[in-house]
Amino acid sequence: MEVTFVIIDDNKEIEEHPLLFTLEDKFKNVKFYSNPQDGLDYIKNNLDINLIVLLDIEFSKDDKLDGHDLLKEIHNSSSLIPVILWSGINQTNEEFSDFINNRAFGFLSKDCSLEEAMLIVDKAFNNLKNSLDNTIEDWIINNESDKDKPIYFTSSGESYTLNEILKEIRLQTPIGKEFSSKLNSLTIDLLLRKKENL
Amino acid sequence: MAVKKEKSIKFNFDVSAYRLIGRELITDRITALFELVKNAYDANAENVTVEFIDINPLTPNSKIIIKDDGIGMQFSDIKNKWMVIGTSSKRRERLSPAPHKRKVAGKKGIGRFAVDKLGDKLVLRTQKKNSTELLCLETDWSYYSKLEDSQLKLNFEDEKPFFTDVENKYWYDNGDKEVQGTTLEISQVNEIWTENDISRAFKELSKLVPPNPSKTNAYPFNITIKSPYKDFNNVKVKTQLIDFATKKVELTFDKKEGVQEILQYKKGSLNKIKVPKRPCGFLKLTLYYFDQAAKSKYKKYFNSDIDGIKIYRDDIITTPFAEYVADQNKQKDILGIDKRRWSGFFDRFGTRDLLGYVEITDENNPQIIESTNRQGFVDNEAWEELRKFIIEQIVQLESYFKNVKKVERENTKSSLGVANQDLKTLKKEIASVKKEASPKVQAKLRSIEANLGKIQGSVTKSIKDYSKLEKESKQQENLFMSLVSLQTYAAMFSHMTKHTLGHILTGAEYFYNNYPNPNLEDRFISISKSIYKEMLKLRKGVDFMLKYAKSDTELEEINLKELIVNLFDNIYVDRLNEEGIRTIVEIKDNLILNYNRKAIEDIFDNLISNSIKALKNNNEKIIKCSSLTSSDEVTILFSDNGIGIKEKDKHRIFDIFYTDTAEEGGAGMGLYMVKTRVEAMQGNIEVIDNEFNPTGATFKITLPFKK
Repeated sequence: MEVTFVIIDDNKEIEEHPLLFTLEDKFKNVKFYSNPQDGLDYIKNNLDINLIVLLDIEFSKDDKLDGHDLLKEIHNSSSLIPVILWSGINQTNEEFSDFINNRAFGFLSKDCSLEEAMLIVDKAFNNLKNSLDNTIEDWIINNESDKDKPIYFTSSGESYTLNEILKEIRLQTPIGKEFSSKLNSLTIDLLLRKKENL
Repeated sequence: MAVKKEKSIKFNFDVSAYRLIGRELITDRITALFELVKNAYDANAENVTVEFIDINPLTPNSKIIIKDDGIGMQFSDIKNKWMVIGTSSKRRERLSPAPHKRKVAGKKGIGRFAVDKLGDKLVLRTQKKNSTELLCLETDWSYYSKLEDSQLKLNFEDEKPFFTDVENKYWYDNGDKEVQGTTLEISQVNEIWTENDISRAFKELSKLVPPNPSKTNAYPFNITIKSPYKDFNNVKVKTQLIDFATKKVELTFDKKEGVQEILQYKKGSLNKIKVPKRPCGFLKLTLYYFDQAAKSKYKKYFNSDIDGIKIYRDDIITTPFAEYVADQNKQKDILGIDKRRWSGFFDRFGTRDLLGYVEITDENNPQIIESTNRQGFVDNEAWEELRKFIIEQIVQLESYFKNVKKVERENTKSSLGVANQDLKTLKKEIASVKKEASPKVQAKLRSIEANLGKIQGSVTKSIKDYSKLEKESKQQENLFMSLVSLQTYAAMFSHMTKHTLGHILTGAEYFYNNYPNPNLEDRFISISKSIYKEMLKLRKGVDFMLKYAKSDTELEEINLKELIVNLFDNIYVDRLNEEGIRTIVEIKDNLILNYNRKAIEDIFDNLISNSIKALKNNNEKIIKCSSLTSSDEVTILFSDNGIGIKEKDKHRIFDIFYTDTAEEGGAGMGLYMVKTRVEAMQGNIEVIDNEFNPTGATFKITLPFKK
């Protein structure tokens, strides 16, 4: 599975941080943004690919957005993207509640080692890999011919191919969300009625 | 489904309610007495007698009788006020009836249940003026408690009578038309009253009204205690005159001018100055300070301890101070005076050194509200400000006495010096006499000389010890001061360390994981560069930290501009960038000061961190530091365009523990330290008109050039 890491930190020195090198060595695609708005724009424009975000919390006062705002924005765009907070400050519980509400994937302290950091990064990667959209993507890779078969028909009569549905899910459109939820219900129903085994 | 008819149901009181509002709310006997005497005060009584009969040992005839000559009650009063729990009459009518028009002391309408604490049975007799009927009411608390006990054994919930169902008997006796007032006759007394208990009651009741009532009172309030004890046989409760105090201070206000007096210590003298009204409202404060000698005199004469500052409202004590505490050391420090001692340090006064009273009024201080549990005051801005006000005055007094001590110390030192000189002269004289004296006298003189030598030795040693002691305590003080600013620094330091360590650690780890690898050559170079850079950063931080540990006396030549630029561009750079603060330094390149580096760094350290706080909510943020030199002094202006300093605060911002930024972690130490440091250099610091408009603060520091 291909994944792109997006690192947003107003400290430009972070671009040369060994953690970024390590990520690049292992996963190839690493994008660094010292301007939070640019980082956010990149994420919004690339929702159709797999992203993992490492996000600083405290930005300089010139930046309109801080880590909290960014997290919220990212979460609103897509709940599928794991966002790992990477910060030098120790957050109080109250501030953390924001992270819980906005589903931060994890927290990395700026003074943690590469080994510690990679534990969380790998966890995020695996999480992403096992997600519904990536399962569909794997299916398409393995069964090229199924790609353009229509599999979903809405009540208004529109039909979506497997590949189209994949995009809808990644972009977190209403159709994509509806499909995910119905698919889950269908699976449970099949399992319960012993029509299928996993 | 059919709609069912709605019904209603009432709350009720269990019989045990008499306990909850009586003996369990009012936890000691003396407070109970206090409450009842307060009721008499509210009823316009001018004389109250508290009589104890057969109270040691207890007999069936034991009684406590509280008799007043107040306005008395008629049946409707009894029915609608006395018998109503939490009656609002005293909250509605905040003044007692004419002509006395006293501010009523009771408010919650439960004081009378205090009777239950004193004895089980109460007969109340009351009469209005010009009435021939004496209204009597009997309440037997033991009946309630018996009922409660029996109810505990019953299982039929529905048949239990409630607190409000119990009948209390009343009747009329013949009364004397000329007499008015209320008598509470409490029998089946619960506890023995020893002479010590009566003495305590006496002392507590004497607190009821302030030592010197605000005006010549047309309607005095006298309390008399009668008891079988000789000393309290028939004795009028008098407020203790406060005597022997080392220093007495009285502060008042002028409502018309809208000004409040406060204390200000300046250059050796203690003055009263006028400032605009404080948020706590106008108030009067009388403060007595007792030094050790005065304290023991006071104690010996009055047989009681100095017990701090109390608050009186409208000529009667406020409830938190009315609570009796057997052990004065356990008395709650409502004003937080002693708390400062533990957090504070040298030359602090505590509640055992101070006696005084604050006089507030309902009219001037409506926001100062006693909390319902009687333990304190409702925690609001006005109360916080009142506390601050009192502490501030104490601080000024402390500064004054600190200086007195200093002067004394210097006198001691110089008189030791004089003694030393005298001894030398004496020795010389003896030496000159010795030559001409007879051998016998000479032998005597030799031994005198030897003794003189010994004395001289010990005087010299004393002088040395004294200087050493003085130096030590000065060092201690300096260390303490450094520690406080160190605390702020420590927070910044650990933030910086965390980032730096993270960088170095992961860099080393990357090497360890990947080296050697020809493909990653570029990375190894960049990582090693960054490790080096981060190490330098760390070293600078540690250096700065180390300076705090260094001794405080070294003088060195300091380039002021470099020092300030270093603070801005290296030490504070992260904070300043984070906050978006622009700095301007306009100081001549060649301005050299010969002072202690840490002291100067401390000054600017604190000024910068102050400014950062003041700039918190600004859009454009500027800190500017400029200098002006003349032939004999240098003037440094330190400005920001932040929220500025309110006119009313200008005189006190340099006071220790004064802070406007408690929320941002301000401890009120910073500017105090700045001032001490500047003054230690024989310099001066003041707040002048702000350089930036519309808001901001400008500090002007003047330092003399050493000749």
